[in-house]
Amino acid sequence: MSIIDVEQISFAYSEEKRTLNQVSFTIEKGEWIAILGHNGSGKSTLAKTLVGLLEPQSGEIRIDSIKLSEETAFDLRKKVGIVFQNPDNQFVGVTVRDDIAFGMENLCIPRDEMLKRIEFYAQKVGMEQYLDKQPSNLSGGQKQRVAIAGILAMRSDILIFDEATSMLDPYTRNDLIRYIQSLNQEGFTIIMITHDVNEAILADKIMIMKQGEIAAFDNTHTILEKKELFDENHLELPVALEIASLIEDIKLKEILWEFVSTM
Amino acid sequence: MNSIIIGQYIPGSGFFYRLDPRTKIITILFLMIAVFMLETILQLAIAIGIAVVLLLAGRISLLKVLRGLKPIFILLVFTFVFQIALNTEGVVLSTATMHFNLTSVIFALLIFVLWRFLLRFNRFKILLFVLFVLGLYFNFRYATLHTDFYSFQLTIYEKGVEMSVFVVLRLLIIITLTTVLTLTTKPTDLTQGLESLMHPLKKLGFHSEDFALIISISLRYIPTIFDEAQKIMSAQASRGADFTEGKLKDKLKQIISLLVPMFIIAFMRSEELADAMESRNFVPGEQRTRINILRFTIVDIYTGLFTALCFAGAIYVKVML
Repeated sequence: MSIIDVEQISFAYSEEKRTLNQVSFTIEKGEWIAILGHNGSGKSTLAKTLVGLLEPQSGEIRIDSIKLSEETAFDLRKKVGIVFQNPDNQFVGVTVRDDIAFGMENLCIPRDEMLKRIEFYAQKVGMEQYLDKQPSNLSGGQKQRVAIAGILAMRSDILIFDEATSMLDPYTRNDLIRYIQSLNQEGFTIIMITHDVNEAILADKIMIMKQGEIAAFDNTHTILEKKELFDENHLELPVALEIASLIEDIKLKEILWEFVSTM
Repeated sequence: MNSIIIGQYIPGSGFFYRLDPRTKIITILFLMIAVFMLETILQLAIAIGIAVVLLLAGRISLLKVLRGLKPIFILLVFTFVFQIALNTEGVVLSTATMHFNLTSVIFALLIFVLWRFLLRFNRFKILLFVLFVLGLYFNFRYATLHTDFYSFQLTIYEKGVEMSVFVVLRLLIIITLTTVLTLTTKPTDLTQGLESLMHPLKKLGFHSEDFALIISISLRYIPTIFDEAQKIMSAQASRGADFTEGKLKDKLKQIISLLVPMFIIAFMRSEELADAMESRNFVPGEQRTRINILRFTIVDIYTGLFTALCFAGAIYVKVML
């Protein structure tokens, strides 16, 4: 059964142009979806509608078969957590402990339970030694891990990453992506919005967005076979594919294909 | 930025640190009222004695408390000078003519230059300032070599000296009290204490939780925004902006070029923060549980008793003496 059902949603910030135009798709439980697209393709707007921060002007979103509306948004947000791009702008608490607690405080979870969950999830994201630290003493990657812990502590099982790695240095970025990968293997549904193709190819499925519409949505392997999709949407090819397309040697090409698909 | 300290909080131990912030706020409020009930210098001196003993017992360095007085030093000087100059009650202590003539003005300038010069080396700035003021006084009093182009009578009355000492002592105690509060209480604990104390105002439509959240978020973002300001300043300095030199007009221009981007970024930040908070199910004014809770301990009870004692003492002194 699908966990997210999006049916014909449209959204416009202004009258002239629709940021999202009749978008429909479904996501199964436990899937890892990458949403690729250029700036202004509507991918961040899509993420905001999925957590109920923006209300689409038409169409509907169902999460776990429940229609997302003003009345259900509070309950559905427990299921869907979002990590934003700027690590600093989503750190609400004065310390790591306070920040992990913030979502739980809003859900009126008793204090004893909060303390238990903070300990558990801080350990899970590897921040247990930093609980009393202030955000100014943390790196960007650490702040993003705290954000993840805060969402996990609310017991969300769908995690949306809205370009959550784009402000990190390459090393911490890889680290975070590995971590997201391990969360996916545990059964979390992951939606990762990115404009980095090399990040996207790790997902089960890739959705390419263009001017508020879905240009393509398919298994990663299928998408990668359609080289023209990348050209049409002004996206760079993954490095390995780029090399492969330069090489005439069929044999080597096959080896590289093998490499790309196991990445 | 790890180096900025918000507020004056200095980590430490001692019983002031173990007190519940609510106890501290209420205690200090009552002690201030008590101080305002005292009427003679002797009573104030006793109060200061008690305060010093307490500070030492709480292992708070007196030097740090005195440093807290720095910002109001000018205020203290003004109160002192005005009380002496304008109060005309009681016995005349001294009366003297202040001479303004060529030598006295030149010497005054010299004293001023000497004072500014010595400031570079000396750590006892307050002492130097007092010497500077005294120097000016004696200079204008005894310089009679040239004919005056202006002179006036400066008469000092007994009551004036008494009042000036009294007012300065009272200000000293009050500032010490508040300094101890800010020195030993984390800003977050302070806001939480205030929130808890203002909770009854909910019936009047004042949501203390929202207020406390606003304060704690502001505190949390001060280092972030400070960091940003430095980044923008470096970026502009690298393109030739100079924030340290130039005329006032140029400086103002530079500051505007710093403020405009900072405001824009702050607004963008607040929007993203609002999204992040909403996505984590924050609804303003709704019931929330708290991770940080305040608890009274035995130390708070002792402090309460002590405060009651001081307050009763002050009332006794006011009514009986």
